[in-house]
Amino acid sequence: MDTIFHLHNVVYAYANTADSPALNGISMQIQRGQRVAIMGANGSGKSTLLRILDGLYFAQSGTVEAFGHTLDEAHLMDEEYALPFRKRVAFVFQNPDVQLFNPTVFDEVAFGPLQLRWDTATIRQKVNDALDILEISHLKERAPHRLSGGEKKRVAIASVLVIDPEVILLDEPTAALDPKSQSRVVDFLVGWANTGKTVVVATHDLDTVPDIADDAYVFKQGHIIAHDTPRAILANHEMLLSANLVHAHYHLHDGQTHSHAHIHVGHQHDH
Amino acid sequence: MGGEAHHGKRRGNFIQRTIDALTETLERSLYAEQFSEQRGLLQQLDPRVKFVSMLGLIITAAAARHVWVVAAVALCALFFAFISRIPIIKSFGPIWLGMFIFSGLIAFPAIFITPGPTLATVPWLQWNVSAYGLQSAVFLLLRSEVSITLSFLLIMTTPWMHVLKSMRVIGIPTLVVVILGMTYRYIFLMLQSASDMFEARQSRMIGKLPDKEARRLAAATVGVLLSKSFQLGNDVFLAMQSRGYRGEVYTLDEFALRRSDYVAIPFMLLIVCTGLWFGLQ
Amino acid sequence: MLGHNLAKGFIPYWAANPDQPGAEVFNHTAKVVCSRQLTTSPWPNTTIALYAAAAPFWYIAGKRIKKMLSMRMVPLLSVFAAFSFIIMMFNLPLPGGTTGHATGAAIAAIVLGPWGSILAVSIALAIQAIFFGDGGILAIGANSFNIAVVGSFVAIWVYNAVAGKSALTASRRVIAAGLAGYLSINAAAFVTALQFGVQPMWFTDANGAPLYAPYGLDVAIPAMMIGHIGIAGLAEMFITAGVVAYLQRSDVALLSLTAQKDAESKVDGTWAGTRRLWVMIALMMVLSPLGLLAAGTAWGEWGAEEFADPAARQAITEASLGATPPVDSTPEGLLTLGSWFEAPIPDYAVPFISNEVVGYIFSAVMGTGLVMLCFLLYGAIADRFRNNNGATN
Repeated sequence: MDTIFHLHNVVYAYANTADSPALNGISMQIQRGQRVAIMGANGSGKSTLLRILDGLYFAQSGTVEAFGHTLDEAHLMDEEYALPFRKRVAFVFQNPDVQLFNPTVFDEVAFGPLQLRWDTATIRQKVNDALDILEISHLKERAPHRLSGGEKKRVAIASVLVIDPEVILLDEPTAALDPKSQSRVVDFLVGWANTGKTVVVATHDLDTVPDIADDAYVFKQGHIIAHDTPRAILANHEMLLSANLVHAHYHLHDGQTHSHAHIHVGHQHDH
Repeated sequence: MGGEAHHGKRRGNFIQRTIDALTETLERSLYAEQFSEQRGLLQQLDPRVKFVSMLGLIITAAAARHVWVVAAVALCALFFAFISRIPIIKSFGPIWLGMFIFSGLIAFPAIFITPGPTLATVPWLQWNVSAYGLQSAVFLLLRSEVSITLSFLLIMTTPWMHVLKSMRVIGIPTLVVVILGMTYRYIFLMLQSASDMFEARQSRMIGKLPDKEARRLAAATVGVLLSKSFQLGNDVFLAMQSRGYRGEVYTLDEFALRRSDYVAIPFMLLIVCTGLWFGLQ
Repeated sequence: MLGHNLAKGFIPYWAANPDQPGAEVFNHTAKVVCSRQLTTSPWPNTTIALYAAAAPFWYIAGKRIKKMLSMRMVPLLSVFAAFSFIIMMFNLPLPGGTTGHATGAAIAAIVLGPWGSILAVSIALAIQAIFFGDGGILAIGANSFNIAVVGSFVAIWVYNAVAGKSALTASRRVIAAGLAGYLSINAAAFVTALQFGVQPMWFTDANGAPLYAPYGLDVAIPAMMIGHIGIAGLAEMFITAGVVAYLQRSDVALLSLTAQKDAESKVDGTWAGTRRLWVMIALMMVLSPLGLLAAGTAWGEWGAEEFADPAARQAITEASLGATPPVDSTPEGLLTLGSWFEAPIPDYAVPFISNEVVGYIFSAVMGTGLVMLCFLLYGAIADRFRNNNGATN
């Protein structure tokens, strides 16, 4: 198999919380064409992992390999290494306001290609294609502060899609979206993954996991506590409960109090 | 910088006033933007031509040593607004009024205290209207009005990112233009978070907030925004890096002069040169 | 912006001098005044001169910030400029029933350091002028010089001088911040008033009627300073001290940037590197009247040209001092203030310039230069002291 990311014993701690690292000895492999869900509560380390995979943060100990080469700061200083890497791996941030820093939607989508020094004609072509695919051509001249949440997310996706990356990393892609925008994003991800791209999604939204992933990890306090198929993971209520991905649910059944994990993924329960 | 005399009704509710100021800023930019899509004369021109022309006219008005030259530039601005289908009174009325009050405040005493031949005397008060004083007051007001009208004319007929990009023609470096653009973009994000913070406070507020509390709240809001700024700046940096940013920013140059521009350039040049010629006499 | 300052300066001035004719009118008009900066009629020569004055600071600041932040410069500067812009919109209630706006230059200088602050505040002012019609495009240089450059440097000097090596959470830092805010905005206002006050001397038409701002130093300075000493200074003081107090409780790391840098800079030369530049500027300011004397003709020419009509000059000077018509309408307050501000001048007046107002400018410039030299001297001695301590420890 073609291994895209290979992490071995990765540790990463933020300056102010050095005693409890955000990632504490993470080892994992991600293969080409895989659709991986990284599940975990807030602060479990999943966003940090994505930043490591994108070469934005660097492991303080352990090794990270991408496409068979070591991924570290020294390598990324080198333009010959950095630009192809940036072209192959794309990141959709959780907060679209962070990602949309250009004056207009068109400029936003053109930013990546411009930094990769494509020629102007190609850039215009690719940008227009990406805008069409995400159905946001009519927003071309719009400023980011005049977009709705769902529109912002689509622009953010278009802005990474335009460079036709091999791997797409998404941090909570459905968070803070209305149901319609959520399903739109999920549909897009499913369709896109079917073209053989590698997708890594960090999420605590259990509903979407079976749709968008065929491999799932559960993170807790910087450790991997489970690695299985999404179906098996979602069936393991004890584990999900301990990872704070679900919360205990007390209620009355025929006059008797009981508790069970609160979960709604394919587990309708009747009262 | 500055402070203002303050009064009865609105006193105390500084949150409301600040929210008003923030939303007014948002609305003003929205209002200005809607005209840039209309089909008027200035809208047809290349942003660079417009930018340099307006700047030229502002300088002409600023340099003129005769009131009538400033007035002529003002008429010129009104003419441009008219043929650019901008509702003059509705768009400029409030701006002119605000300017008139502020500049008038500065200019008014000059009418009486500047030495010069007496034109008239105000009955009862026995104040002498000085010719030079009147002239300098008119100068002050007119120049302010012209300058603000021309700059609003530019931003009302040009999408703001085009204004930004056209600044490169006067030698402003790309990096500065990029920073200005990003600043403008994040102003709106911060306006939103500031007014959200104030509104949240407002909804929990019963009665009037004591001044001391209000100051503390304002300082805390600024503090939160400052902390957020660091976070935001670093996150934006990561997002830029992720898409290949390595310290240089490459941008598209998308302007091309059209036939209307080739007509406009000599025309504008003529107006500015004539204005400067008469103005500096 | 300048116009705005002056306007805002005038309002409390007239409010405080109800005897003054017109006070009634102004106090009514003031009620309609909204809380915005405004475009003033710029005066080309001063405008260009102040662009030229601000430019080297922008250049050095750009270099330093780029070196410090490298690739991070673009996003961080943009975000901080946006932050500066927002602060300028805050409407702060002040004791005594007024409200005021702060510039945020002092808090920006304390958190980002003076160079970062110069850039962030200048960018915010530029955006205000270009896209929001506040301040006038031609006045960006002047506003940036006064508020961003003068404001930031005075703020960081005062803050570091008063805060010393106190702990980041010491209440001494809150006081230092308040003072820094208060003094920096007043310094900025004073520089602005100087620029205003020289207008009627330098820019008049053939008859001697002022072409730009019509008020001399004797009106501009009190009008401007009263507003700032009383109102705007308080707004800046409260916001600067308040934010430092807030950061001490919730994000103390933000205060360490300049505090540490300051402590380190005695070694790494952030401050020492520019000291030579400052010494030069201060010396030039102190020596400027002597330069005038030495250069004689070259510099004297503008004098001859601009003051071609001594009678008119005299009239203006006297009138603005309240000694000539309209005598009836001369406000007591103005007269008193005029003489109060005039008081230090005879001692300092440069003898070879007969016009006292011109002498006054040079006195002011010289005074500023002397103050700067004192600061530099103090800094140098403090350094020597600290380095010695460091060596013995």
